[in-house]
Amino acid sequence: MPFYLKQPKQSIISLLIGCLGFMVCLTACQDDSLQKAKNPYEFVAPSNFPEPTYTFYNNELTEEGFKLGRKLFFDPILSIDGSISCSSCHDQSLAFADDPLHPVSIGIDGLVGTRNAPGLANLAFMKEFFWDGGVTHLDFVPINAIESPVEMGEDIVAVVAKIKNHSEYPALFKAAFNTTEINMPLLMDALAQFMLLMVSNNSKYDAYLKGTASLTTQELKGLKLFDQKCESCHSGILFTNQGYFNNGIDSVFSDSGRAVISANPLDIGKFRVPSLRNISLTTPYMHNAKFRSLEAVLNHYDNAVLPSNTLAPYLIQANGALGIPLSREEKEAIIAFLETLTDYELLNNSIFFKD
Amino acid sequence: MKNLQYILFGLILLLVTFSACTKEVETEYGQFSLEFDNKVGTEAVVLSATGSTDYPFATGMSQNFNIQTLGYYISRIELSGPNGASYSDEVSTGATSEEVKGFYQVLESDASSKKIALENIPVGTYNKITFTLGIEADYVQDGANGGILDPSNGGWLWNWDSGYIFYKLEGTSPASTKPDNTFKFHIGGWKEITGNTAMTNNVKRISLDFPTDAEITTSSELEAHLVMNLLDALDGHHGVDFATTNMVMSPAAGADFAHNLETAFMVHGIH
Repeated sequence: MPFYLKQPKQSIISLLIGCLGFMVCLTACQDDSLQKAKNPYEFVAPSNFPEPTYTFYNNELTEEGFKLGRKLFFDPILSIDGSISCSSCHDQSLAFADDPLHPVSIGIDGLVGTRNAPGLANLAFMKEFFWDGGVTHLDFVPINAIESPVEMGEDIVAVVAKIKNHSEYPALFKAAFNTTEINMPLLMDALAQFMLLMVSNNSKYDAYLKGTASLTTQELKGLKLFDQKCESCHSGILFTNQGYFNNGIDSVFSDSGRAVISANPLDIGKFRVPSLRNISLTTPYMHNAKFRSLEAVLNHYDNAVLPSNTLAPYLIQANGALGIPLSREEKEAIIAFLETLTDYELLNNSIFFKD
Repeated sequence: MKNLQYILFGLILLLVTFSACTKEVETEYGQFSLEFDNKVGTEAVVLSATGSTDYPFATGMSQNFNIQTLGYYISRIELSGPNGASYSDEVSTGATSEEVKGFYQVLESDASSKKIALENIPVGTYNKITFTLGIEADYVQDGANGGILDPSNGGWLWNWDSGYIFYKLEGTSPASTKPDNTFKFHIGGWKEITGNTAMTNNVKRISLDFPTDAEITTSSELEAHLVMNLLDALDGHHGVDFATTNMVMSPAAGADFAHNLETAFMVHGIH
């Protein structure tokens, strides 16, 4: 100790030099990373997006983990009879939505589900999942489809057993997670890693925001109308306020929606506000696939909103009339704007292609 | 530069003082164990085979029943004493079984699961235990967890309303109107939504006094005998009528039962 006290100057100077050196290094490193090509398996939250909700501290994204998740996403091993994979209902060319010929999910034995499979994008930023928001963490999303009797119809215990006995998976799990353990949470972590990289922020609209593309007069007109008439629910850069609303597509609800989870009668007929990113590719629309086109959706908001106790207040005008009045020209402009939300980079990104 | 000299001197002094302090206090540690004992009133729970029509038990409403499955999750155990002694069981989450610590699945069907060994307890006098019946929000929101929370390893995960079933009671009663007279009580629910009292957080933090103090020393081998009396849950507030309440599978439906579970545990003795 006394040694340091005798020569404080020298040590402080050394320390300062050390610090400076470290800072220089750090700056150099930063420059270097900017020059390097972006690692396609790195999760980067766009700067104009909200904070991710995903718990990366418990599931660090790696190339191996992502690729394992990709293999699982395309593998019907997750279903009881080997017929249905995640990709059966989530097709990249449709922004990971379902085939329009399947307005609601078609599972094992041709069984028909009750709700439309949504497109997948920006899942790292979502607070809740599914039309009723019952699932609060991305890790718990796939098990819902796996165990649904009308989707994959399989027990998670059986899925894990099949994977343990598979010729390739054990080595892939080991490579991804550095453990010989194979279990449900690791399976879900891998699928989550695959889904987390489905970040959609490269649409024409995003380019417009960055100043690298311009919108047409018609698209700009649509954007302005959108901000006036749709933005209460489809707000922000994710185009959803992540809330639950009854948008008047029914008066009596065979699927009570959010109330299934909240047990609150005031939530009957409310469903999660979907993001509108890639919306022009994800027909049909609404939880029950009621509408086949965006035009039909806007016609609904214009003149077909049905009354019920839980109808969204945004859909009740000052004079008591229901809906959001829209002229034909206004609808065309809004649709032109919505089409700028299609992210062709996501649709064509080869990291999501089947091996 | 002179100022820096002082600062540096101060820092070193602080460091010396600090290391001296930590050397002086040498905490000694002991062990303690918990044994959970499930009862129906004064009778010990005995499991019946699936489909059994023997009914060894009866509720306060005189409805006969048997038990085929019984278990619950206990987590975040803490001990405390009158003189400031305290212990918190380590809690951690993760996808592998070795990362998951501080969560226990007490199963009537597995005698070893009813015993929880706690280690590294600072020696001292303890007279109170606090634990969570269930899995709290933070740990659900950590994502999929391994070990006893892993549904591929017997964990009780709800898929449609993500979270854990933290108390499971299944059996049959001639009073039940369901096919084969079955009843199922799956108690879960951890979510809270402002302004929605129907959305129920059923997870309970339970504190129990010891009937006598536990003197934990480096060599003591004490055990707290905890009793869970199922009749307290079945006969408590809004007592269960198997004719009308037999398939409890949602947070809201399980609220009354969960409320009663809060007072169904007691520390019977320290041995």
